Amino acid sequence: MSFFLTGVAGFTLWWMLHAWRTPETLQATRFADPVGDDGLCFSLLVPARHEQEVLEHTVNRLLESTHADYEVLVIVGHDDPDTAAVAHRLAQASPDVVKVITDTHERKNKPKALNTALPYCTGDVVGVFDAEDQVHPSLLAHVDHAFRETGADVVQGGVQLINFHSSWYSLRNCLEYFFWFRSRLHLHARKGFIPLGGNTVFVRTDLLRANDGWDQNCLAEDCDLGVRLSSQGAKVVVAYDSEMVTREETPGSVVALFKQRTRWNQGFLQVLRKQDWKRLPSFRQRLLARYTLVTPFIQAFSGLMVLMGLLVALTGRVPVLVAQISFLPVVPMLATFAFEAVGLHDFGNQYQLRIKPSHYAKLILGGPFYQLILAGAAMRAVWRELRGRNDWELTRHTGAHLVSEPAA
Amino acid sequence: MSAVIEEVIEPGESRVAQPGLAEPQREPAPVPWRRGGRERISDLILRHRDASIVTALVLVVLAVQGINIANFPTVSDDEGTYLAQAWAIQHGHGLAHYSYWYDHPPFGWIQIAALSWIPALLFHGPMVVMHARIIMLPVSAIGAALVYVLCLRLRMSRWAAAVAVVAFGLSPLSVTMQREIYLDNFAVVWMLAAFVLALTPTRHLWHHIASGGCAALAILSKETMIVVAPALLLAVWQGTDRSTRKFALAGFLATAGLLLFQYPLFALLKGELFSGPGHNSLFGAIHYQLSRPGSGDIFQQGTLANLTLHWWLVRDPVIMYAGVLASVAALGFKRLRPIALAAVILIVVAARPSGYLPAMYVIQALPFFAVVIAGLLDNVVGAAMRWRSERIPFLRAGGANLVAFASVLAVALLAPSWETGDETADSALSNTNYAAASQWMHAHIADPAHTRVVVDDAMWPDLVEYGFQPGLGAIWFYKVDLDPAVTKTLPRGWRDLDYVVSSSIIRQDPNSLPTVSAAIKHSTVVATFGTGDQRIDIMKVDHTR
Repeated sequence: MSFFLTGVAGFTLWWMLHAWRTPETLQATRFADPVGDDGLCFSLLVPARHEQEVLEHTVNRLLESTHADYEVLVIVGHDDPDTAAVAHRLAQASPDVVKVITDTHERKNKPKALNTALPYCTGDVVGVFDAEDQVHPSLLAHVDHAFRETGADVVQGGVQLINFHSSWYSLRNCLEYFFWFRSRLHLHARKGFIPLGGNTVFVRTDLLRANDGWDQNCLAEDCDLGVRLSSQGAKVVVAYDSEMVTREETPGSVVALFKQRTRWNQGFLQVLRKQDWKRLPSFRQRLLARYTLVTPFIQAFSGLMVLMGLLVALTGRVPVLVAQISFLPVVPMLATFAFEAVGLHDFGNQYQLRIKPSHYAKLILGGPFYQLILAGAAMRAVWRELRGRNDWELTRHTGAHLVSEPAA
Repeated sequence: MSAVIEEVIEPGESRVAQPGLAEPQREPAPVPWRRGGRERISDLILRHRDASIVTALVLVVLAVQGINIANFPTVSDDEGTYLAQAWAIQHGHGLAHYSYWYDHPPFGWIQIAALSWIPALLFHGPMVVMHARIIMLPVSAIGAALVYVLCLRLRMSRWAAAVAVVAFGLSPLSVTMQREIYLDNFAVVWMLAAFVLALTPTRHLWHHIASGGCAALAILSKETMIVVAPALLLAVWQGTDRSTRKFALAGFLATAGLLLFQYPLFALLKGELFSGPGHNSLFGAIHYQLSRPGSGDIFQQGTLANLTLHWWLVRDPVIMYAGVLASVAALGFKRLRPIALAAVILIVVAARPSGYLPAMYVIQALPFFAVVIAGLLDNVVGAAMRWRSERIPFLRAGGANLVAFASVLAVALLAPSWETGDETADSALSNTNYAAASQWMHAHIADPAHTRVVVDDAMWPDLVEYGFQPGLGAIWFYKVDLDPAVTKTLPRGWRDLDYVVSSSIIRQDPNSLPTVSAAIKHSTVVATFGTGDQRIDIMKVDHTR
């Protein structure tokens, strides 16, 4: 058991550190500088629901893009007049670029909104952004270049939570994104199995249409799309550049984080049950897929097991060797803490944020509690999936990440 | 930003563009197969040039070290101790044949135990220690190969790397020390591996993590190895790129730290971390080791440390003098600095005025000496050739000749002294008395299972082999008075003992062990092997006196 847990922790660590394996790997995770003119036309989808506070800022920022040829499709609900008003005002201001699509589904969710807009897309490539995203003006030019240079079907840009100072859990949440987009996703791209992110993701329009867009019944439509495209052998390119990353904010409260995680985990379960990943060509890819999709549950379970093992080792009457072995999983776990601290330092460097000693303390002390939240969310996801509840619990956004950068 | 997208670079390709890093020289372009066995072998050698050089050198080292390994040098009590402790592990008696007292971390003799199937395969005779020495040959072989790889990773020429291997493996001092079953020999091989991994040309994170692991294993083999940790850290620093250095250092330190932590954790789980009445403890042992009476000033005539130094110098003055000088000089060259620093630290630690300096200490320094000597030679020859080709252009073509000339000169200077030293090592019979005494015990004690004999640790494994009760039948001499668990079984003191195999080790300090002294006083010599200080007396205790 201990060996299994050690293996799990070791593997997770291996993948978490993928990008930093050698200086060359690290260099290769970035966008190449665009050379030559823009060649593709982009359709950018921005679904917005009760997000009138942040939508205008996001769209205006998209309009600052240096790219020559793109359109912005804002998708609003028919029952959400406040957001719709903002969207229409934006469309009036730039009639050639911004369009408003109204989603009339009775029960709304993000994949439905995206699918509603898909028929109206005129570009070669569809990109997805959330209503609270801060997008870098030269991102599109880089993505354009990446598509043309590598012949990719999908380009996933980096997404980064920025407001690490907001609370103890947002610190960990930011770092989680950092390791995921900075490092882990690149490994997935290389291995040919990738659960895509929810935004800053770009897919060739014809490929998207051929796959009937997003799965409306899946709670992790982004992950599902990635799995479906991977199993068809689509070429996915991931690039991360701290300059060009899309900035987001963490959920506003522990409860919101908990609900968001429940949704993701349940979505992962759904993707696992849909079994599209079984069409992946190689056994190793299928193994990676299976492992990735159940990771949240393994983590929830392994945290508990390690704790129990230690309790037994310290209090029970077991031979010294057995006790020592039950301490084994602690080695990669503590090493992970060390790497997280280093990651936090690197995060601070890349985004020119001042990381104080207290932040490191928060990072380490918050670790077990954060794990607890994740474990709870994993269990709740299983519970909800078993009970057949799959309504969409949306994360609310207030714009906390905008405050951190007044110049934007 | 002048990068390419993720998918474009394949894992294998990333190794190619490494400006200025010591990728072991590129193999020559594959030569098409020719007919005839001889050409085929030469092709093979050409295509695996480094592997061929290492194999040849290692075979020579193994031959010189292996011949007569059992008979020279004299078995030391430490070898017996480690072997006995390895025996305890093998037979499921825990970490030692008496209660483990944290003298050293146990990983060293765990490795000895793991290798002990080799002699068991080959010998079934007396003097287990002598024959067990054969397990040191693979250790030396790996060490020699690692020295070669380390030199290449320090961007030294092939010939210089070969010089380092020769110095490391064939110095009479090395030949003597590396034959003996010392923990230092294991520790130093792990440390070499740590340096090799730290300087990996791909600058791969997991190599640095593995380097930390090897460093921890080195220290867990012999704790004194920890003093070269700063030098290793410097190597990791040099072996990493700015962009990934943070992660490499974190990986290195976390792995080393967490593995090392297993040792105090073990003590903690056993309830033996802190000292207390009635049990051994890690802290107690550390306190003892630190307060151990020093061996005196190494430069002061008559001190124990000075004697040890003399003994080293007698075995091989060349590697000692050249090594010390080269270590200091090599500090001035960036690529050699980590290795030079390791050597200098070891020199400084040895030269501190008070402190315990055992004979095997030098083992830890030998590979570093060998590498810095070869590294400096490489620098000097390289500079000379550049100077010559600038000043005397018509000589430009003869670089290889110059090296060949210099090496012939060096061999001519070195050969006589090393030849004598290695000759002694390959022919002297220093252990005949031990072997004979051991044979005698086997032949003359009718009921070993019920006979209680006091022996030194060198002979202890033999007696166990002959059927004496390990621990309480064959009794390691200083446990008689110092281990309560043994003393308890001797209610009548010396009268409960039957024999004492008195060797120089036992006679060294008679006053500290009253029961042993009393047993010797009340016994008669029944057999003697050898003469003078080194003689071995087998003494039968006379229970009636």
